[in-house]
Amino acid sequence: MGFEFSVITESLPALLAGAKLTWIITILGIVGGMACGILAGLGRIAGTEALGEKPHGIYKPLTVLIRYISSGYVETIRGTPIIVQAMFLYFAFPMLVKAVFDIERFRIEALTAAVITIIFNAGAYIAEIVRGAVISVDKGLLEAGMSLGISRFQLIVHVIGPIAFRRMIPPLGNQFIISLKDTSLFIVIGVGELTRQGQEIMASNFRALEIWLTVAVMYLIMTTVLAMTLRHIERKMEIF
Amino acid sequence: MSSIIELKNVCKSFGDIEVLHNIDLSVQEGEVVVVIGPSGSGKSTLIRCINCLELISSGELIVDGIRIPAEKRKIRQIRLEVGMVFQQFNLFPHLTALENVAFGPSKARKMSKSKATDIARDLLEKVGLAAFENKRPDQLSGGQQQRVAIARALAVSPKVLLFDEPTSALDPEMIGEVLDVMQNIAKDSGMTMVVVTHEMGFASQVGDRLIFMDEGLIVEEGKPGEVMKNPGSDRLKEFLGHVKHH
Repeated sequence: MGFEFSVITESLPALLAGAKLTWIITILGIVGGMACGILAGLGRIAGTEALGEKPHGIYKPLTVLIRYISSGYVETIRGTPIIVQAMFLYFAFPMLVKAVFDIERFRIEALTAAVITIIFNAGAYIAEIVRGAVISVDKGLLEAGMSLGISRFQLIVHVIGPIAFRRMIPPLGNQFIISLKDTSLFIVIGVGELTRQGQEIMASNFRALEIWLTVAVMYLIMTTVLAMTLRHIERKMEIF
Repeated sequence: MSSIIELKNVCKSFGDIEVLHNIDLSVQEGEVVVVIGPSGSGKSTLIRCINCLELISSGELIVDGIRIPAEKRKIRQIRLEVGMVFQQFNLFPHLTALENVAFGPSKARKMSKSKATDIARDLLEKVGLAAFENKRPDQLSGGQQQRVAIARALAVSPKVLLFDEPTSALDPEMIGEVLDVMQNIAKDSGMTMVVVTHEMGFASQVGDRLIFMDEGLIVEEGKPGEVMKNPGSDRLKEFLGHVKHH
C-alpha cells in the first residue's frame, strides 16, 4: 500500500465537485454574511455617537430596540456551535414549524440549510468586525462631516464607511477563511461538499493518505485565493 | 447691520457640570469676534454650540433666523450656513485635498461633480495649495492641512466660519501661513467669523471684538486693542500675562 497517484486522479472529479459546492456555499455565505453583518454591526451601535448624533424623540426608543435585536442575534450565534445551528435548522426547525403552524410537509433542503447557517453565522462575527471598525473612526472626522451639513446617511456612506472598511479588511480575511473551513461541518447534514466527498471516497477505498492529502490541498488552494483577493483589495486601498 | 448669531441666556451642561452660564452674545454680519480665555473656560463649547455640535441645555440660540431649540429639525440648515475649522484639522484621510474641499459642495449642496471640483480648485488656489490638489492629508504638513480644512469649510459658501483653536496643533513656523489665510478671508470676503485662539496679534489686527471668557462666563468684551491695553479684571490681566510670555 504505497502512495498511489492513480487514486487521486480517479477521485478527482468527485472531489472537484465537492470543492465546487464548498466554494458556492462559501461565496453565498460571505455575501449574505456581509449584508447581515453590516446591518447587525450598525444595529448594535444604532443611536450612539459612533454613527453621528444621538437621536431625539421617537427615534430614541427605536434605536434601543434595534440595539437589543442586533445584540440578541450576535450573542445567540456566537454562543452556540455552528454544527448545532446547522442541525437545528435542518432537523429541528421543520419540526418546530410543523408543531406551531400545523404544516405537514415542511422541510428545508440540506444545501439551503447550509447556506442559511453559514450566512447567519458569518454575519454575527462580521457584525463585531463592523462595529469595532466603526467605533474606531476618529470622532473629529464625524464632526467635520456633520459641520458641513450632510445627512446621517451621507455621513455613514461617505465618511464612516470608507474609513471603517479599510480597517475591516484584515479581520474580514480571517472570518472569510474560517467560514470556508466551517462549511466542512455541513457533512453532518449530508451536504456533498468537499469533506463529505472525501469521506465517501475514503469509505469505499480506504486510501486515507491520498484522499485527505488531496482534500487538504484543495482547501488550501481555496483559502489562498480568498486571502490573496483580500490582500489585493487592501493594497488598492492602502492610502491612509 | 443685523445679528446673524444670537445667544440668549444660554446654559450648557455636561452631566452635572455646567460649563456655560447664562451666556448672552450677538454677532453682527461681517463681524470678526475673537474669543480668548484659559483652558476649561468654555470657549470651545461656546462655538460648538453655535453649529449645534453641542446642543444648548437651556436658553435660546438663533442662527441665520433659525431658532434652537424650537427648530431642532433645521440643525442641518444651520450647519450649511456655519462652517467650522478644527484644532486637529479633521481632513478626511481617504480623500485627496481636492476631494476634501469638493466634498461639501457635492454632498451637502448636491452640486454636480464638475461644478464642485471647480469650486474646490478655486479655493485651493486661494489658500495657496493649487499644486497640492492630489495630495492626501498624510502627505501634507500641518499648516497645509489646516489651509485645506479652511478651504473645505468655505466650499459650501457658509455665512459664518467658526475656528476652534485653528493654530494650536501647529508647529510655530506654520502658524503664520494659517493666520494669513484667515486674515485674507476676513478682509476679502467680509466673512462673519468667530475665532477661538491664543494668537493675540491676530486678535488685535483682525478682530473687531474681543471676548474674554472664564469659568463659563463672558468676563469682558470690547475692541481688541482697548481690552488688551486696559484689562478691567484681574483675571484677564493675569491671562494676558501668561499669553504674552509665549
